[in-house]
Amino acid sequence: MFDTLRNWVLQLGRRTRQAIAISAIAALVAIALGTWSVAQQPVTISFLVRAVEAEQLQLLVDQFEAENPDIRIDIVQGPNAADAVENLYTTSFLLGDSPYDLVYADVVWIPKFAAAGWLQDLSDRVSDDDLSAFLEADVLSGQYQDGLYRMPFRSDMGMLYYRTDVLDEIGAEPPETFEELLALAQQAQTETDVTWGFVWQGAQYEGLITNFVELVSGFGGFWVNPDTLEVGLDSPEAIAAVEFMRQVIADGITPGGVTNYIEEDSLRMFENGNALFLRNWPYVWAEANKDGSPVQGNIALKPMVHAEGQQPAACLGGWGFGLAVDTPHPDEAWRVVEFFTSRQGQKDFVLEFAYVPSRRDLFTDPDILAAFPHYQQLLEVAETTVPRPPVGQYAQISDILQRYLSAAITDQLSPEDAMQAAARETRRVLGSPDNNA
Amino acid sequence: MTTTHPTATPQANATGIPWKKVLLWSAIALTVIFSLGPPMWELLTSIKTNSAITADSVVYFPSLDQFTVEHYVQLFQRNQFHIYIFNSALVAIVSTVLCLGIGSPAAYALARLRIPGEQIVLACVLVVTLFPYILLFLGLLDLVRALGLANNYLALIIPYTAINMPLTILVMRSFFQQLPKDLEDSAKIDGYNTVQMLWQIVLPMTLPALVTTGILAFIFAWNEYIFALTFITRESMKTIPVAAAQLGGTTLFEVPYGPLAAATVIGTLPLVLLVLFFQRKIVQGLTAGSVKG
Amino acid sequence: MTQDYIRQRERRTGWLLILPALLVLLLVYAYPILRAFWLSVFTENLSTNLEPVFSGFENYGRMAQDGRFWASLGNTAIFTAASLVLELILGLGVALTLDQAFRGRGWVRTIAILPWALPTALIALAWRWIFNGEFGVWNDILMRLQIIGNPINWLGDPNWAMLGVIAADVWKTTSFVAILLLAGLQSIPQDLYEAHAIDGATPLQSFRKITLPLIMPQILIAMLFRFAQAFGIFDLIQVMTGGGPGGATEMVSLYIYATVMRYLDFGYGAALVVVTFVILIAVVAIAALYLSKVRHAAGVEE
Repeated sequence: MFDTLRNWVLQLGRRTRQAIAISAIAALVAIALGTWSVAQQPVTISFLVRAVEAEQLQLLVDQFEAENPDIRIDIVQGPNAADAVENLYTTSFLLGDSPYDLVYADVVWIPKFAAAGWLQDLSDRVSDDDLSAFLEADVLSGQYQDGLYRMPFRSDMGMLYYRTDVLDEIGAEPPETFEELLALAQQAQTETDVTWGFVWQGAQYEGLITNFVELVSGFGGFWVNPDTLEVGLDSPEAIAAVEFMRQVIADGITPGGVTNYIEEDSLRMFENGNALFLRNWPYVWAEANKDGSPVQGNIALKPMVHAEGQQPAACLGGWGFGLAVDTPHPDEAWRVVEFFTSRQGQKDFVLEFAYVPSRRDLFTDPDILAAFPHYQQLLEVAETTVPRPPVGQYAQISDILQRYLSAAITDQLSPEDAMQAAARETRRVLGSPDNNA
Repeated sequence: MTTTHPTATPQANATGIPWKKVLLWSAIALTVIFSLGPPMWELLTSIKTNSAITADSVVYFPSLDQFTVEHYVQLFQRNQFHIYIFNSALVAIVSTVLCLGIGSPAAYALARLRIPGEQIVLACVLVVTLFPYILLFLGLLDLVRALGLANNYLALIIPYTAINMPLTILVMRSFFQQLPKDLEDSAKIDGYNTVQMLWQIVLPMTLPALVTTGILAFIFAWNEYIFALTFITRESMKTIPVAAAQLGGTTLFEVPYGPLAAATVIGTLPLVLLVLFFQRKIVQGLTAGSVKG
Repeated sequence: MTQDYIRQRERRTGWLLILPALLVLLLVYAYPILRAFWLSVFTENLSTNLEPVFSGFENYGRMAQDGRFWASLGNTAIFTAASLVLELILGLGVALTLDQAFRGRGWVRTIAILPWALPTALIALAWRWIFNGEFGVWNDILMRLQIIGNPINWLGDPNWAMLGVIAADVWKTTSFVAILLLAGLQSIPQDLYEAHAIDGATPLQSFRKITLPLIMPQILIAMLFRFAQAFGIFDLIQVMTGGGPGGATEMVSLYIYATVMRYLDFGYGAALVVVTFVILIAVVAIAALYLSKVRHAAGVEE
């Protein structure tokens, strides 16, 4: 075969042979040049972010790209609802051929994404020492089984806001327990001109769950024990939490419309000076204190109220970065994560957009405290955070609970019936041991 | 289908007020307002400035200083809608051509050739037209994953070809049945085999029917949502309906009403044109596809 | 002998011509349905690490006690029934109008077809905007007509959201019903009406005695198609409300989609597909039986 080839080459005219040789060299050079230029081209690291935050993150993207010319960051803008973004990530990982190298993840997605095998274990990339600089709850919520799947970026937690001027007017201290909150609310409603005592989020969505998690912990109960998969929704403590939600509506402390409220509705009510207490997230501080706000300078925050003898609880939220399992550029992607979660990265981001950092020492950083003096109290709240159940089926059990909580607070079902049904369906989904009495 | 004919028999009206006419024209007016209202509102919204869109009292027709094409500019500059248009057009055209190429021969066989099991095939095709796509996506998802077709145009082209297949077979079959058989018989006597005869004699005559079916198939493929939503996750490969539905806002409180409206107008425009030019054919195809089946 | 040979060849060519189409149909229709039946007796979700584990009829048992499944089935039934009734009435009205002779009929017919041809997902965006609680034009119209005093958050209120999605669906598909019914109307011979009129019948009487019975087959076919589409409605709802608020407009199709694509609960999702499929087939079978009776009766009358 080789002979035939040689014969064939020899038979070609000299000219043709030259032409072939030249084009072969040219082709080689072209390939070499091509490879070289590909190697020189920056790697692109892509991830999906809710549109509202995508623009804010651009601040850090610009900084990073200036310092790292070999890496480009491509932030894909997603819908503003966190659920919708979760669904987009889920679809792309489920299908395979995911366009995303990183996952900018809400804390509750991690168990699902980790259980499905879509995220890389980060344990080898980061030392325990490094991790100890972060809020403990934020780190814990990034763990699933024995791995670490998320680096915390910005934290989030629920808390109680109150009107200092109204409490002064009735000469009271901020409440610690549920009973105190109820009593103060009713007193303020009769003695001052605030219309409502306590506003929160009661629409059928994830926000309702975060309210419930704080109440149920405050009563000393639990939703799901992630180790035993025990379900505590039909326990007396959980039913007491639902009863509390119903009671504040029934007693006229909370407006009936709360069953359609999301964060913004309750904030508006509080901001306009119509409510004494508000359960909400950290962003409220800046919003309610901005110029022109009727309650500017008259608000304060503290950890959530709780039952006598129990601890306060703040539902943990927040966002962080996971590393996609099939990214072709894991090391470059990790550099992006390191930059964003670094002390400086977080500090710049917090100073610019008033988010809550996930690094503990930033809460007491002089620059940050100069801009936001209330971060001292925020740290206090941050120490009380409780996670939502870190189980792979979180989205599913959250949707079940949302349905039944909503049914209970809109009086379609009694709290007992609703919680028993919710517990039954949750056990079925989780395959929990049947601890139903 | 018989030709159109007037039904309104003029009747002497004693009172002098032509009640029938009043009734008829108000029915016509209602039909027009009903059908055109929503698309028109989208069109009007898409050319209004943001402040006119969110004005305290609704602005119906933008004045000169409330007029803008900024939303369209944004769609093409920031959101790259030309890519989505290209994707939609590509999958719709390719799947339509494939569907006609595969479906017409089958329709011919079912119309003309006596084959055992014909009735069963036909019955299955009929039932299948009724299946909602939601019943199919789970199994198709398996196939797409197993074949590695994620983010591949084929993941849309194959299902689109299939979902238009029943319609193609039913419409084309009824056209073939109307075709005089003498022609084919004489072609056979002249020594053409079936395939030659189909290609050289039958095909030219069925062009109008192919156009009818093709338009319907194109519409269905252009409009499809659930497969496009599920099997394509890469931004640069999305089709118009999905891309438009996923258009995000820039802030939490600011829904991009203007760009959303503009996206709707862009995505519907090709179909509006199709309806304008091929109204008669669409009606023909639809009635042939469902009633005659 | 040759006759037999030709027959055989014709048969072979026939099957060859059908084969590609059949393969595509089997791949995209038969496989997913069979696959759903098969998968529905397995548990394959996050608690089994996405591995299929045989579980018999466990998924079906779970469905029986799944409040959300029944709620979504109820929503689907309400949506389907309301849409079909409204579309039939409006569609018949439009068809009767288009059946009249008037100037510009071609244009009106073109306009009337338009809603059917437009992409549902985009139409859903349009209706979401029309029903917007703050800037929506529907609120503005109703307030100008003094029908409502304060703006209503149509899609944000669990009590109104269902009405909103039904309105959008009716708008979108009335033209489809109208097209089919118009074809039926136009195939009624004119002299039937004339004879009836000579007998002294009013237009209303002839509508009931002639029109309705003669277009009954078209009505049934249109309703059959519409039933199947409405029962499996996905895109319209997903874009308009996403099934919300609080699950008020969640249809079975959305629940299936969430079960598979959000919860990764494949076995249970497959069982939901199977049940939906069986309900659909049962209704279609009953309707088809009825249809053949009506067709038979209409044929006899003619």
